[in-house]
Amino acid sequence: QSSHLVQGTIIDKTTGEPFPGVTIIEKGTSKGTVTDMDGKFQLDVSSSQSTLVISFIGFLQQEIPLVGRSTIEVELDEDISDLNEVVVIGYQTVKKKDLTGATAVVGTDKTSRVTAASLGESLQGLAPGVSIRNGGAPGQGAQVEIRGVASFINSNPLYVIDGMIADANPTMNTNDIESIQILKDASAAAIYGSRAANGVIIITTKQGAEGTPKVSVSAKFGIQQLPPGYNMMNNVQFAEMQRTQFNNSGLTPPASVGVNFDPAINTNWYDEGTRLGNAQDYNVTLSGGSKNSNYLISGSYFENKGVLIGNDFKRAALRINTKNTKGRVTFGENLVFTNSITNSPGTGNPFYDMPLHLPVIPVQDSRFITGANPDGWGKGTTDAVTYAWNPVAVNAINSYRSNFAKVVGNAFLDVDILDGLVYRFNAGAELSFDHNKRMRRAGEWHFNQPAAPTNIIEDRSLFSSFLLEHTLNYTKTFGKHNLSAVVGHSQQHTKRDVLSAGRTDLQSFDGRYLNTVSSATGDPIADGFIPVNYTISGFLGRANYTYDERYLLTVTGRYDSDSRFGADNRSRFFPSVAGGWRISEEAFFNSSLVSDLKFRASYGELGIVTVGSWDYIGFLNSNPRAIFGPDEQAYVGATQARLANPNLGWERRSSHNIGFDAGFFDDKLTISAEYYNSLSEDVLVNLPIAWYLGNLGGEPAVNAASIRNRGIELAATYRSIKNAFKWDVSANMTTIRNRVMDVGNLGEGIDYIQTGITRSQIGRPLGEWYVLKTDGLFQSQEEINNYRNTNGQIIQPFARPGDVKFLDINDDGEINQEDRTFVGSPWPTLQTGAQFNASYKNFSFNMQWIGVFGHTLMNGVRRDIDSYQNTNFRADISPWSPDNTNTTDPRIGVSVGDPGLIDNARLESDRWLEDGSYIRLRNLEVAYNFNSSLLQRWNVSNSIVFVSGQNLLTFTKYSGLDPDVTGNGILQRGFDNGNWPASRIYSVGLQFEF
Amino acid sequence: CDPDLDIINPNQPTIEVFWQNATDAEQGVNSIYSTFARPGMSRWMPIIYVTRSDEGYSGSPWSDLANAMGGFIQPDYNFGPVIDVWVDCYVGIFRANQVIDNVPGIEMNNDLKNRLLGEAYFLRAYFYYNLALLWGNVPMMLESSKPTDLPPTTLQADVWAQVELDLARAVDGLPAVYANSRDLGRVTKGAAQALLAKTYMQQGKYTEAEGPLNWLVTGEGASIYNLMPNYRDNFLITSENNQESVFEWQFTINPTEVTDNDVDTPNHNYGTSISQFMAPPGIGWADAEARTWAIQEFLKEQTTQGERDPRLSASYLFANTDERGPQFTMVYGQTYAQRYGMENNRAYFRKFLNDHWRNEEGYRSPNNYRVVRYADVLLMYAEVLNATGRTAQAYAHVDRVRARVGLAPLSQTQPGLGQTAFLEQLKHERLLELSGEGHRWADLVRWGDLGSQIANRDPGFNNFVIGRHEFLPIPQRDLDINKNLSQNPGW
Repeated sequence: QSSHLVQGTIIDKTTGEPFPGVTIIEKGTSKGTVTDMDGKFQLDVSSSQSTLVISFIGFLQQEIPLVGRSTIEVELDEDISDLNEVVVIGYQTVKKKDLTGATAVVGTDKTSRVTAASLGESLQGLAPGVSIRNGGAPGQGAQVEIRGVASFINSNPLYVIDGMIADANPTMNTNDIESIQILKDASAAAIYGSRAANGVIIITTKQGAEGTPKVSVSAKFGIQQLPPGYNMMNNVQFAEMQRTQFNNSGLTPPASVGVNFDPAINTNWYDEGTRLGNAQDYNVTLSGGSKNSNYLISGSYFENKGVLIGNDFKRAALRINTKNTKGRVTFGENLVFTNSITNSPGTGNPFYDMPLHLPVIPVQDSRFITGANPDGWGKGTTDAVTYAWNPVAVNAINSYRSNFAKVVGNAFLDVDILDGLVYRFNAGAELSFDHNKRMRRAGEWHFNQPAAPTNIIEDRSLFSSFLLEHTLNYTKTFGKHNLSAVVGHSQQHTKRDVLSAGRTDLQSFDGRYLNTVSSATGDPIADGFIPVNYTISGFLGRANYTYDERYLLTVTGRYDSDSRFGADNRSRFFPSVAGGWRISEEAFFNSSLVSDLKFRASYGELGIVTVGSWDYIGFLNSNPRAIFGPDEQAYVGATQARLANPNLGWERRSSHNIGFDAGFFDDKLTISAEYYNSLSEDVLVNLPIAWYLGNLGGEPAVNAASIRNRGIELAATYRSIKNAFKWDVSANMTTIRNRVMDVGNLGEGIDYIQTGITRSQIGRPLGEWYVLKTDGLFQSQEEINNYRNTNGQIIQPFARPGDVKFLDINDDGEINQEDRTFVGSPWPTLQTGAQFNASYKNFSFNMQWIGVFGHTLMNGVRRDIDSYQNTNFRADISPWSPDNTNTTDPRIGVSVGDPGLIDNARLESDRWLEDGSYIRLRNLEVAYNFNSSLLQRWNVSNSIVFVSGQNLLTFTKYSGLDPDVTGNGILQRGFDNGNWPASRIYSVGLQFEF
Repeated sequence: CDPDLDIINPNQPTIEVFWQNATDAEQGVNSIYSTFARPGMSRWMPIIYVTRSDEGYSGSPWSDLANAMGGFIQPDYNFGPVIDVWVDCYVGIFRANQVIDNVPGIEMNNDLKNRLLGEAYFLRAYFYYNLALLWGNVPMMLESSKPTDLPPTTLQADVWAQVELDLARAVDGLPAVYANSRDLGRVTKGAAQALLAKTYMQQGKYTEAEGPLNWLVTGEGASIYNLMPNYRDNFLITSENNQESVFEWQFTINPTEVTDNDVDTPNHNYGTSISQFMAPPGIGWADAEARTWAIQEFLKEQTTQGERDPRLSASYLFANTDERGPQFTMVYGQTYAQRYGMENNRAYFRKFLNDHWRNEEGYRSPNNYRVVRYADVLLMYAEVLNATGRTAQAYAHVDRVRARVGLAPLSQTQPGLGQTAFLEQLKHERLLELSGEGHRWADLVRWGDLGSQIANRDPGFNNFVIGRHEFLPIPQRDLDINKNLSQNPGW
């Protein structure tokens, strides 16, 4: 065998500089070398006709046929595509280019830009098909939906954190996250079978890397500012309007706005109940490793002082991730200890109370002092009637502290059995030691408050979830055939055990309360139960096969059994199959424009469990008590309170997905598009059970309904990184068409589920608004008299000029519930997100936008204010009167005995429905990267300072505080019942590494 | 690898292992009584009865409530306080049906079994009695509920018939008195007789009503029941379950309660919130208050001692509860004048309040609700005797009620009244004796007195439409679910 010496130089194409450290390998052999400091190499190859493979991480690999040459010069080009990025798909990893399912990968460079209490919140607008609505309150999670809602009960995705199935709620530090993958279709998610129907979010936390120990530090401080509240009247305006109101109804106005009006009292309840909040986030990470082991230890502290008084959240976390290899064995663990504390008054919703409360009532005053209200908190009186709660008093009197001390993590052991065959044992655990403490001190916060003793209640619960998994992974390449497969068994046991104790009659000295159960002196309270206890056990398997990087096939299946179902319905198989065709690898495909093109298609079935631990059995409830005897003893009563359905099973979702991934101009532009069509069957319906059945404690579920979700998702990115001014722009969009296909047998002729003012009817979206339609105001008595049905009946005989006109849909001559109709959907027709990143020299810039369009919100707060009764008024109302007819605000009066005014205020009316579309500048950040020699002398590298603004601009017609409404459960999705609005956050931060 | 997937619920027994012995049977019955402390019964039902009749109304600033209760304006057929009554009546019925379905199969002492079944039949009848009175035509559940039950509407006449049937069984099974004092407060044969008489009377079946009333007034009941010498003792927490009490809801304070829902936790409210809802403003919600025309009725006649009828101050908190006026009338520790000034002429029902022993109200009143008093029975008896042509015999029973409060016998003041005139006088007597106790609505229905002609005493009746407002609207939700049900006429 002859040999042939090759010499060469490798150049970085962008800079034109010599490129050290580049690997050169003779193709098909193990012969190779690395370029020196001058980018030069020298290699003995077997033949002058050999081919060299030249590679460096982050750069496009090149294959150079020598064709007899002994000197070559090669320019290496930066690889701007992410096709070789490794994606975690559950029990396996694949290269992004080999994906067959719909999987979104979200970079933490994007999520970490925003200040977010939870992972969900940080994902908003970043991934197509993923709808996020923010909770807003300190320590509150976000509402995450993947590809619409396919269940009436639960739309939460499954979270897998380093292989442990555990909720990524606000107790998790988002800074620990290395990567996020969102499995959206059945193929991608099928490996999690019975729990994956709502999609899966896989989170991988950061790991140490080979090299010298590295310390990175980051600190961020931000100020949170609420959006302006409703513009309510001041004392003078209110007094005048309330006088008008009473006079209109022929009543004497209360003295508080008449003879006793005190101009010195002018309470702005929004100012009293809110404050400037702040968010602080500090992280220190120590990481490093050698060839055979690595470690990462991070400590973090996050604190959010809420914009409502009395609300805050604190979280401290310590993470330890290590990994070691010895011979054929690799072992390690990913473990986090977190302690989080949420404080709040624990009762009431100031977002209702602040606008409702009257400006003529002071926050605190000696005239309110009574035995039951020793601190004289201001509240409604017979002379100034409001039932709104005084938010300052609520906060002073009540407290609720929640403490979660958690350990979440996994430990694993890999054994490399033979070439390509690896056994893994994975043990995961989540332990949460929860402690809630509620205190009610002396005092009153609203009108006519019932007497109740002071008390303290503490409950402690232990939540535990243990996961045990055994898997075998096999990877093999035979020529052009490439196979990777996994089989395994997974079992998880989850339990919660609650104990609670309390006592009435707190002791206090000099205004300070003793705050233990034993320090209280009254009657004891004790309770204990196990609300959750279930086991899931299943077998899983998946095979990924590729041929010549052109044809891809994935087959997945999982067989799960779940103790939450009766023995006959306990086990089920969830299969899926997916294929891909990388057409750009075909010989006939020769396009200078299209650098990469892959088509994908998948089909599969998934499940979801929406029942409690024992819902399939009817139980005796032993809580009732009967009082008998001269000593009034409580005797135990027992009854079946809740009806049960023994045939409960999984909700199943079968879905199709087709899509393509394309790269253009050497992958400078990448586009992914998906169409999905998923049909959920056996969807659990909490059978809206008739009241005459006497059922209590929740409605029994039946697997009866069916829901279809269809839509398209589009994501595109363009990168320009060849110049000193580097930039990229990404955009994504999602459409979701949601249809109820079946609601089960809810009674003769009933093809809908009614939930408050929404109805989910077959052929229509889930939870559409089902209310009366209005048509402006009556301008005259004549108009009222002429408003008749076809039989000539006056439709609104109680109305007066200035009242709201309702449509008599069924033409029966009166306005009643038969006239309700569909008026708007809570589902956006289009959801979009866009990001723009740019850098020039040491400056970098990030901007994120979100846009949500086409949905209707119910403004519950405005309904209460604009009903005019026992409330303050919006400053900009202009109630109808004979002298003021050109207005949309109905006449004002006291509604007692006035059916016209009562009708005006009906909840089930389109008066309160509003377009919820909005565009929001989610984040804006400018950063500066110091590279000064001074810092380098101190071994500090990568030092960045930044300023950012979050939620700076919102364009919307919605009149409430924030159109990003989490709503009132799945079936009243757009109901703004005093939703906590997203705050503006102005942050400064700094991070560095040494 | 094969875990146990049969995980036992450690919190509650399954229904399969229950209904085995006498303890289970008794607990099943106890759960029916527990229904009385649920808010639909212990709060809203009395409020609906008093505000819907002409003796009361709601001046609540909660205008939906004010309009629905006594204003006969209820645009929302799912209006919460009304629905609570409907729901809790059916909760009680479901609990009673479970006993009626399961207890017969239990091997246990037969007398005890019959007694427990008698209690269940009585209580089921009592819930249907109220449903028939308030809604008239309702779905009839006579077996343990299944999620798929879609019964049709049962007409009021057939509901009454079922009530009669159940009460006849209750009369058979129930003891006249309980041997063991720990059973004090359980329903008795006398209670069943009284409710049966009411059921007949509401249907105009006066002849049939006589039998049960005979048992109470001239039969065995005569040795059990008597009037309390002091009228007001019927409304104090210190004299509950007295000799005048025929049927009484039992309440006590659970100071640590966290809910009114008696299935959420054992730590629920064992009391009633009626006092919080009826107490005057500043103390309670004042959601039901008295029309003042009735006060004038009390002043028409003095006692033989020349004093004001003592029932007036026992019945109402108003400026002149103390005859000397608002500066002397005490309202929870302050004078009426201090609280409401000298000009206020509003009046509040006093019978369920706790102002006789504390200066505050709350959701946990221990004051028992007296459903049927012997005075009511005596007046019913007089009404039946009068209706069946024995007016002369009826006098004695009215006189007995009048004598207790010091009024001269009717046989002296108004002797020899004819049947119609006697009934008119009886209406006056029932008003004064029973005001604010929730009987007035049934009385007006029975006497055919509902209509706009009484709007002069209660302007709410201006909105009363004959043929519609006699019954409440069937909840829309139940109509939505069950197309076999029909809405009441006019709604």
